Amino acid sequence: MAKAGAMSGKKGRDLMADAPYGEYGRTASEILTPEGVVLPFINASFGERVGAVVIDLIIMAVAPILMLIAFFLLPIHDLFTDKHNRAALEILWISWLFFTFFIRSGYFMFFEMGRRAATPGKRLMRLRVIAHDGGRLTPSAVFTRNAMREIELFMPLGLLFTAGASGGIIGLLAFLWALALLLLPLFNRQHARLGDFLAGTRVVHMPKAQLSYDLADLDGDRNLGLTFTQEQLAYGEMELGVLEQVLRDRKASVMKAVADKIKARINWQAPKNPADVPPDEAFLRAYYGALRAYLEGRMLLGRRRKDKTFS
Amino acid sequence: MAETPPPLRLKSQKFREARQGDWKALNAQLDRADRKGLNGFSVEEILNLPLLYRSAMSSLSMAQSISLDRNMVTYLQALCARAYVTVYGPQTRVKDILSGFFARDWPGGVRKLWREIALSVAIFIVGIIAGWMICAHDSSWYANFVGGMSEGRTPSASAEVLRKTLGHSEKDAMLSPFAVFLMTHNTRVAIMSFAFGILFGIPTFGLMLYEGLQMGAMLWLFSSKGLGVEFGAWLSIHGTTEMTAFIIASACGFHIARRLMFPGDLSRRTALAEAGKLTGTVMIGVALMLTIAGCLEGIGRQSITEPVFRFAIGGVMLTLWLLFFLFVGRTRKDPAKKMEPAHG
Repeated sequence: MAKAGAMSGKKGRDLMADAPYGEYGRTASEILTPEGVVLPFINASFGERVGAVVIDLIIMAVAPILMLIAFFLLPIHDLFTDKHNRAALEILWISWLFFTFFIRSGYFMFFEMGRRAATPGKRLMRLRVIAHDGGRLTPSAVFTRNAMREIELFMPLGLLFTAGASGGIIGLLAFLWALALLLLPLFNRQHARLGDFLAGTRVVHMPKAQLSYDLADLDGDRNLGLTFTQEQLAYGEMELGVLEQVLRDRKASVMKAVADKIKARINWQAPKNPADVPPDEAFLRAYYGALRAYLEGRMLLGRRRKDKTFS
Repeated sequence: MAETPPPLRLKSQKFREARQGDWKALNAQLDRADRKGLNGFSVEEILNLPLLYRSAMSSLSMAQSISLDRNMVTYLQALCARAYVTVYGPQTRVKDILSGFFARDWPGGVRKLWREIALSVAIFIVGIIAGWMICAHDSSWYANFVGGMSEGRTPSASAEVLRKTLGHSEKDAMLSPFAVFLMTHNTRVAIMSFAFGILFGIPTFGLMLYEGLQMGAMLWLFSSKGLGVEFGAWLSIHGTTEMTAFIIASACGFHIARRLMFPGDLSRRTALAEAGKLTGTVMIGVALMLTIAGCLEGIGRQSITEPVFRFAIGGVMLTLWLLFFLFVGRTRKDPAKKMEPAHG
């Protein structure tokens, strides 16, 4: 009995793992929270991570340029031509050094230690950094993952530019090493880079989901007079999910195609009177409600049906 | 017989109707926290947040076992994920972070790295000796070791010129920006030597050796002109802090290299995550030490020119660091162990 429960539990997780948060083709990291609930987080895709880092690099490059332009446009630099303002010049110079240092070495750490645990680039791509062990994201983890950025991102980028110029076997080797480090996130399921492994962090995608209405309306279906036999409910949870998506999108052509396919498969007899033939959407909703009621009933007994290929 | 049958409801629908009020309340709170942070929350709202979070988590685990409404399960997953990162977010109370860091994590972390620190110190000393001997043998090596950082401290300079570079001259302006530059530069070098640990520590080894060679070469230069004591004083005022920081930074790099090559009983991934956690804490401390060193360099070097005071400050700093790393945050379980030094 316990074994059956464990089996169905595993199956259930597989079902959701096929499409975490209803987004197909994405993988999830399962984080065990301190409450003992397994919470799936969608892994950031390689494209999202590259996008975020490109936005951040642009900000890092543009911010000092803007500061310089502001400095030269504003009339303040006339103040420093005579020798009395030496102290002011020093202060300005020091703040410039601190500013460039912050941009170069502190930018990522500052923003990732903040409330949103994301740099502006990550925020735009709806990404965020989380601790892989389910605990809090600590400052030390943020420091480590961004210290690694030096040899994962900045040095390889520098090498990519210089290696082409210098050439030779050393240049080629450096180029390959740089490329391997840059592309490391492509070669693991969670798209984690070296710094993530070292700091025990992962970058995840945080979608904003809306609670929609419940599609099942058994009362309405009963009034329509649409009923299905158990043999006709010959689909599994995966198809139910697809059907739900079709009903929420409400595209007439898709609904017609799906309804025709279902009718053919379950051998549905349309009423003789053409006026009694339900529209595709009403038919699909009724079928959805009946199938869901049936599958949820099985689910409560621990007998889940993954898809239509059941025996 | 005209009575209507009771409304047909799925269990999952009843479940949803009973709970969705709580979900929406939690969602609204999270939207608010996202926009303005938790500062605007009243005490009741703050206390209510974990309750709503836990109820959403229990809704999720229940929904996953009774409901096939994918939209609802998806919504709950996203809601719980958002609530989770808010409740277990990066923000702890600043006071807790600081006391935990200074009283326990940082000195404790440094003590755990004692083997690597011993290795770094050994490399550094070997570097100093080698730098001195190589330069004594052939002074043309000096330019290779010290190079761009020499600021006129070259073997061809006279003792008088060299003395001037040690701050005996009148105040020359722009020194504090230079100190800031050195501080930011040093921090970056420290971060590099830490991060290089992942390449099996080889570049970390090179950086540490180079620091030693540079130091040895400069020691040779000044002592050959009879300025050894003054140079030592000039260096020690900030150098004891700075060098300790460098040694710890490269020890962090070596630690990563060691755990990468010899993960022991753990999987390599787990071992690396452990090493990263430990060294990350220590490295934040290193950045702090380098900031202190920068301040000492910017202020102290300028205003304090007497070698005795310079030595005194450098010595006091070194003693403070050693005491801090050796004794702060030790648990008192084993008094015998407390006595033996953790450094190699």
